Amino acid sequence: MAESVRVLPEDIQKLIEVHQWDMRTRLGVQRFRELKARSLPSVALDGELVYEAIIPPQEELIEAIQKRYAAKNPADVGSP
Amino acid sequence: MENRSHPNPQPSRYVFRTTGVCPAEIHFQLIDGRLSNIRFVGGGCPGNAQLVARLLEGKPAVQVAEELKGIACRESTSCPDQLSQAIRDAQEGRLKTAESFLVHSDPTPRSRVALIGDLSDAADMIQRLIVLCRQRAVEAIYCLGNLTGRGASSKAIFKALRKDYVTGILGAADWSSAQTASGGEQPFLNTQEKDQLIQLPHVVQFQLGSWKAVAFFGQYLQQLPGYSDFDPFAIEINMVCGLTNFMQDEAVFPALEAMASQFQADLVLFSQPRSWGHWRVGGKDFISVGPAWDGGQMAWGLLEAGTDGALFQTILEPFHP
Repeated sequence: MAESVRVLPEDIQKLIEVHQWDMRTRLGVQRFRELKARSLPSVALDGELVYEAIIPPQEELIEAIQKRYAAKNPADVGSP
Repeated sequence: MENRSHPNPQPSRYVFRTTGVCPAEIHFQLIDGRLSNIRFVGGGCPGNAQLVARLLEGKPAVQVAEELKGIACRESTSCPDQLSQAIRDAQEGRLKTAESFLVHSDPTPRSRVALIGDLSDAADMIQRLIVLCRQRAVEAIYCLGNLTGRGASSKAIFKALRKDYVTGILGAADWSSAQTASGGEQPFLNTQEKDQLIQLPHVVQFQLGSWKAVAFFGQYLQQLPGYSDFDPFAIEINMVCGLTNFMQDEAVFPALEAMASQFQADLVLFSQPRSWGHWRVGGKDFISVGPAWDGGQMAWGLLEAGTDGALFQTILEPFHP
């Protein structure tokens, strides 16, 4: 899953801040439970669990990120 | 990409094996160069040992090592002199930090073992339990804690531990009691008994047929000074205690299944919930060991090696004092 995020295009990387949790650790388990996740791998966007037990296609992940970015930054929508 | 997997630094804990004095070990912690939780374990004058420990709590280790160096009691050394030596050994790298928890490895492969859970309400029936277990031809008896209860009947437990009838591991209350040489949660335990407690392992591993088993009490292990998520069996502990809430949250079993391939153990035994249960997830067996006194009967677990995993049953026996 980390790899699928790492290979996102540079313009998308600029929009996001990525945190990765190691499920072997107490912090990882705590975050997993906070997100109410059930399976691995899991991906949350803006603290909301979006993908569980799947690695989404890159286009789908990009679209989900852009949608959230646009909702939070309406002034930026349409700008280059 | 930020990785948030590592916890904050913990105090460093040391166990120093003495020479020429009554206590066999000195346990202490260093936090930012200051002493904490000093214990003289396994003999000596308990009053003076507590006096030393209290007076030195929070003191700079370097200063203490210098001030105590050379104090003689017998054979040109003393408890304070040995503490001075221990501090210097720790600071100069000759004494390594102790593991946050002690793992006992049973050297003998087993095929049929008994599991005893919380004895705090049933310490006086330990001898009867041992007899019942032996009647079923078990090769070893593991007590997963808590071992001691509120009363003089805990003495039967110490006798069983001393005579090697059973292998005991510390429960949360046992560990808490063992932290102070006197008083504490179970003030009726004498210093000798508390010293015996503090030297018991927190975790036991054993071989059951072709399966590797690990047994522990529960969540308090994660709060021990120096506990690392990368200690032996820490993944098993973190998954049972943290992820699944002692196997009570079945919704996260898919995640547990994904993590199981990283386990060292095939069988994971625990006793904190004080209830009986057996689950098989991701090719691993998880067994919750209930209390020894359960619903007005004595209770223990019989664990046998099977071809596809562990065979487990709870044995209930009436008790007539």
